[in-house]
Amino acid sequence: MSAETALQTASELLEQWAKEATTPEPFRLDVVIEPDDLLAAVKALRDASWGYLSTITGVDLGVEAGEFELLYHFSNGAALATLRVRTPRDNPSVPSVCGIIPTATLYEREIIEMFGISVEGTPNTDRLFLPDDWPDGVYPLRKDYIYDDPTAQA
Amino acid sequence: MQSQQGNKFTIPIGPQHPALKEPEHFEFNVDGELVTGASVRLGYVHRGIEKGTENRSFVQSMYLLERVCGICSHVHATAFCLGVERLAEIEAPPRAQAIRVLVAELERIHSHMLWLGVGAHEAGFDTLFMYSWRDRETVLNLLEDITGNRINYSTNVLGGVKCDIDREQAAAIRQGLDFLEERTTHYLDVVTSDMMFLRRTRGVGVMTYDESQRLGAVGPTARASGVARDLRVDAAYAAYDKYPVNLVTETAGDLEARFVVRIKELFESFRVIRAVLDDLPEGDLTTRMPRRVKEGDTISRVEAPRGELFYYIKSNGTDTAERVKVRTPTLPNMASVLTLAVGHQLADMPMILVGIDPCFSCNDRMVSVKGTLDSQCWTWEQLRQYGIEYYR
Repeated sequence: MSAETALQTASELLEQWAKEATTPEPFRLDVVIEPDDLLAAVKALRDASWGYLSTITGVDLGVEAGEFELLYHFSNGAALATLRVRTPRDNPSVPSVCGIIPTATLYEREIIEMFGISVEGTPNTDRLFLPDDWPDGVYPLRKDYIYDDPTAQA
Repeated sequence: MQSQQGNKFTIPIGPQHPALKEPEHFEFNVDGELVTGASVRLGYVHRGIEKGTENRSFVQSMYLLERVCGICSHVHATAFCLGVERLAEIEAPPRAQAIRVLVAELERIHSHMLWLGVGAHEAGFDTLFMYSWRDRETVLNLLEDITGNRINYSTNVLGGVKCDIDREQAAAIRQGLDFLEERTTHYLDVVTSDMMFLRRTRGVGVMTYDESQRLGAVGPTARASGVARDLRVDAAYAAYDKYPVNLVTETAGDLEARFVVRIKELFESFRVIRAVLDDLPEGDLTTRMPRRVKEGDTISRVEAPRGELFYYIKSNGTDTAERVKVRTPTLPNMASVLTLAVGHQLADMPMILVGIDPCFSCNDRMVSVKGTLDSQCWTWEQLRQYGIEYYR
């Protein structure tokens, strides 16, 4: 399957949930969807055996924007389909995709501890990367987290 | 990967050197000798590099990202450079792209030979370990000759590369490759015929084609299960369209197949490097790179020695990236291997872990500097001063 036909297939599969679909680069398809539609969209890709989940990227859009964006990157040869989901900063929450893709657990654990986004129904919420004595409620990849250098001279 | 009900014992492995000489913590639930569940705790070498890129310029970030991994440093810088160049709408000159391929393949040779040694060591075959590491010195010396460093070669700059290949270096590389090719032929024979070794690898840790697809395995781990997945072929970047790579796959999906795939990939690397040397385009090494990079985002993927390396780079129009996300190939392979662990003998766990060629530093990304200062945290200025003193 060539990358063009793969993207065409992905576009058709995701059409019903897409609020917006763009092609920012060649061989890329970005589809903005609602968090409630995430599981259905992921399942559609999985049922069609469309590529594999490369990773989940979390992006903090900033305090003013008041939202986080999660990017679910699916790779299929040269073709890349990205599901973009937004969730509000004051109560960030997305459903877990582990029921469909079990190996997503590591990516979801990273999202939980780095951004403080709750992932509903994920099987394991233990720390993955951060130290055991890392304070609760501090999420390093949020834009308003400023690294406090303990050795910095005043 | 969840622990199952009714398990008898939980056996912790790590964080000190679970298989490789790197820290990571695994917990295996066992019933007798059989593994019934496995979980992992990463982060013992977490360095906050992704956060670190948020207040560094693209140029500084490139040097930081190159240090994500000590083994495959070149592919990290290549992925980042290709992505940033795409955002800035420039393209490195053909000679630079060819040298990127050349160094990437030399790096693959050094990485695969390192892994061959580690894999042999875990199987208790230390003779093979020492021979393969001895031979690996050949490629490290070549890399030092070209770039000045054995690892962390720092070949890339944004917009090109900074080291050239002259005729003497090309001759030295060819000579080194001839030696390595002869040795590699021998290793392929050893790993497929030594009965003791085969008892540890044949039929162990089998991942079928379907499982590999479903679990999203990447790189040689996936290719050993017959999954034709290689970004150098699927989405040729840098100069791989000019120097095409032949896909190497095996169908058995066991540890032996993972050995065979990697060793056969070495022959491909030798061939590609020779092709680059035969037909190295003339011209500049760099092109002008603007300081500020246009707003936008890009996904840059390259084939690291361990599989798909994934970069997501978002630019906000300044000289600093808004967000850099790194997903190294070990992470998806780790997830797949932990799922596979269930049902295997505990004694096979080190070999199965090593089979994916895990790179924990890649996973984690952290640094702790020990030196004359009492504290383990150094300021940028202290680090700079240390560097100046060190090289004085």
